[in-house]
Amino acid sequence: MLEQLLIFTRGGLILWELGKALKGSPIDSLIRSCLLEERSADAAFHYDAPAGGAAYTLKWAFDNDLGLVFVAVYQRILHLLYVDDLLAAARREFSRIYDPKRTSYDDFDEIFRQLQKEAEARAEEMRKSKQAGRAPAVAPGKKQAPGSTVRGSGKQRSGSSGGSGKDDSDGDSGKGRSLANGSLNGQENGNKENSRAPNALIKGKENGAPEVGAFDVNKLHKLRSKGGKKTDNGVGGSVGGSVGGGKAAKAGPKKIVKKNRVWDDSPSESKLDFTDPSGERGEGPTEVVAADQGESMMDKEEIVSSDSEDEEDEEVEHEKPGTKKKGWFSSMIQSISGNAVLEKSDLQPALKALKDRLMTKNVAEEIAEKLCESVATSLEGKKLGSFTRVSSTVQTAMEEALLRILTPKRSIDILRDVHAAKEQGRPYVVVFVGVNGVGKSTNLAKVAYWLLQHQINVMLAACDTFRSGAVEQLRTHARRLQIPIFEKGYEKDPAIVAKEAILEAKRNNSDVVLVDTAGRMQDNEPLMRALSKLINLNNPDLVLFVGEALVGNDAVDQLTKFDQKLADLSAVPNARLIDGILLTKFDTIDDKVGAALSMVYVSGAPVMFVGCGQSYTDLKKLNVKSIVKTLLK
Amino acid sequence: MEQWLQQLQKWIHEVEEWVHQQPVEQLSAAFAVLIITFALFGFFRILRRSKSNTIVLAGLTGSGKTVLYYQLRDGSPHQGTVTSMEPNDDTFVLHSELEKKGKLNPVHSVDVPGHSRLRPKLDEFLPHAAGVIFVVDSLDFLPNCRAAAEYLYDILTKAIVVKRRIPILILCNKADKVTAHSKEFIRKQLEKEIDKLRTSRSAISTADLTSEFTLGVPGETFAFSHCLNKVSVAEASGLTGEISQVEQFIRELVKP
Repeated sequence: MLEQLLIFTRGGLILWELGKALKGSPIDSLIRSCLLEERSADAAFHYDAPAGGAAYTLKWAFDNDLGLVFVAVYQRILHLLYVDDLLAAARREFSRIYDPKRTSYDDFDEIFRQLQKEAEARAEEMRKSKQAGRAPAVAPGKKQAPGSTVRGSGKQRSGSSGGSGKDDSDGDSGKGRSLANGSLNGQENGNKENSRAPNALIKGKENGAPEVGAFDVNKLHKLRSKGGKKTDNGVGGSVGGSVGGGKAAKAGPKKIVKKNRVWDDSPSESKLDFTDPSGERGEGPTEVVAADQGESMMDKEEIVSSDSEDEEDEEVEHEKPGTKKKGWFSSMIQSISGNAVLEKSDLQPALKALKDRLMTKNVAEEIAEKLCESVATSLEGKKLGSFTRVSSTVQTAMEEALLRILTPKRSIDILRDVHAAKEQGRPYVVVFVGVNGVGKSTNLAKVAYWLLQHQINVMLAACDTFRSGAVEQLRTHARRLQIPIFEKGYEKDPAIVAKEAILEAKRNNSDVVLVDTAGRMQDNEPLMRALSKLINLNNPDLVLFVGEALVGNDAVDQLTKFDQKLADLSAVPNARLIDGILLTKFDTIDDKVGAALSMVYVSGAPVMFVGCGQSYTDLKKLNVKSIVKTLLK
Repeated sequence: MEQWLQQLQKWIHEVEEWVHQQPVEQLSAAFAVLIITFALFGFFRILRRSKSNTIVLAGLTGSGKTVLYYQLRDGSPHQGTVTSMEPNDDTFVLHSELEKKGKLNPVHSVDVPGHSRLRPKLDEFLPHAAGVIFVVDSLDFLPNCRAAAEYLYDILTKAIVVKRRIPILILCNKADKVTAHSKEFIRKQLEKEIDKLRTSRSAISTADLTSEFTLGVPGETFAFSHCLNKVSVAEASGLTGEISQVEQFIRELVKP
């Protein structure tokens, strides 16, 4: 049974409500984490009320013309098939009686009750007809029942419940349902369980079909995790093997010492090993001049050129002649008079052109798809303003959506946070995580340089105890910046090193501790576990994911896996996830800035820094407006 | 230089001759048209500038702006509100003034969503604002104190607010609850937070595009009396309808 059905305006006023009060605040969290995050094309939203409340599923529908939102809330364990139908019917009926001046709609109660009865009756009918169709197919079904259970339960793990009650004539669904027991209760449970399976199967089969719409990102990463689990055992084994092999080589006695080959021309090199900084080189730390390369670009104002946007006239030509139902003249008249109601078929060509444009700017494919779907949902049914074309409406909507996604939802004022931590008497800890080779150590040094310019005491912690040269690299940076560094050499547990570093920072009154970690692939289970242990043990103030701007579709995978592993492998219920993103190698991409959008969309974390070069001053803030302009150019 | 001057003199001479050659009526007609267009232009500009009778309701999400908006408009928050996704924009006569006799002056008020992703919408409405009501949740104040202070700081340092000296009313909403903080406490806390923000923001002010002005007197702890525009504090309760101080503020600004 439906817990609640709400109708409210986009401005926030509740127009009509049916049902009792809900535990927690599912509607607010739906708006905040789904509709405002441009995920409005998702099928459903799951909400867990905090402190042991109930688990709800929410479904919604928009009436874009009147600016209304219809939300249905029900318990997650129920799988009501008629909710989508009900929402569509409610939207139809309500838009008839809607009046912008009215604020109470008590007469809608009756209409709604009737709609609900009709929808339930329809759902019952459909279920009965499916049961009747299933009866002759019971015999062959029994053999394949175990196979389909595995498939069914496997697909059940993947994301949203279908709930559309589509009548699929596959034999598979019939076989799936034949698992139900003879008793009526068992049958109902079986139906409910398996109603998910065929809908998920539909999703799997109709991947290319336009009705299913966006490629389900949840499904994508769950599938990848299934495949990933098989491979990372192998990867983890090989990593472990190589480390073990390395240790064995060091422990074993050196039998034959290799002699240096001396060539005729070159002078003999007596010393080839430069890893020891002090002593032979003769350079003490006091002799190195502190690196002063001027003002970090973080503090420089970026001049945004305000060139006028040129209208893209090419999109009108993309319209296939087959899809044009109205003639050119009537569509012209309609665009002038402004009474055309936007249909999905109208939006498709413009959206496809936009999606292609986004993809040429290096936005991940599924992100571009989801965004376009979300914009389509928000524009469907809206009346075109006068003298506007479909393409310009879509463009403005997409621009607003992009601005909304890239605007950070929490303050990215690190200096303020550092001061707050200083007042509390503890150091502010930042952990840099990411895959191999993205530029963690380099950008860590840049951030340290910037902080130093604002009179903040920084300390580095070398928790990359795996890669050769990592500790020396940080040591060099620390020497050039003249800041203390805490290191314990190689082959130590990074979590312990970090813990001791923080204690040391407290002792010598450092304001900020920057923790460098080893790069790791997102599929590598043991390394991700080690990272999770580091984060949980030390509870840093900021977990910064370092990602390079060159990455394409892999950004989505990296961030989802990192977030997922951090959430799964932590002992506490409120796990620490990625708090911010540091985008590196921004100078290597000209205008293919899509990685920023993919990363922000997938993780919800704001981009706090942008690395744009290899010297200390090459650190910038993300200019949202210029990125949006570049993406849509 | 000499050549340019000579050229200029020659041109002026030619223009004078041409002007003298035209018939007088044509000249006067052209002149009249020019004057009329300029007059209309200037007139419309003046009209537009004085048309700032908008009251902007801003504040963090969950502070009660939409409830307050509907209280002002209809006298009751109806069946409740949820997080706004779009601004509420309407021109209406204040509900409490409907019973008054005499000339009723409609007020154009805008309720801007408080969600941080929708912050840029505030910039659309500020140019026409006659006054800003910054709504603060006095019940749940301390956890959100920093965020509220940052938002308020952003508003106070916008160029439009400083140049036009737009008055700001800090409204401590939900004052009917027992555990709500007093307006004096909230005022002091906000002043302290903004003082801290001043030091940390001015350090990166050249990169921070929104904060175009620095606040207050450097060297002294910040107080709202340092601002050029008038900042006042008041208490109200959106749900029960105790909004008399808000209405007073609005009436002062929107002169009949």
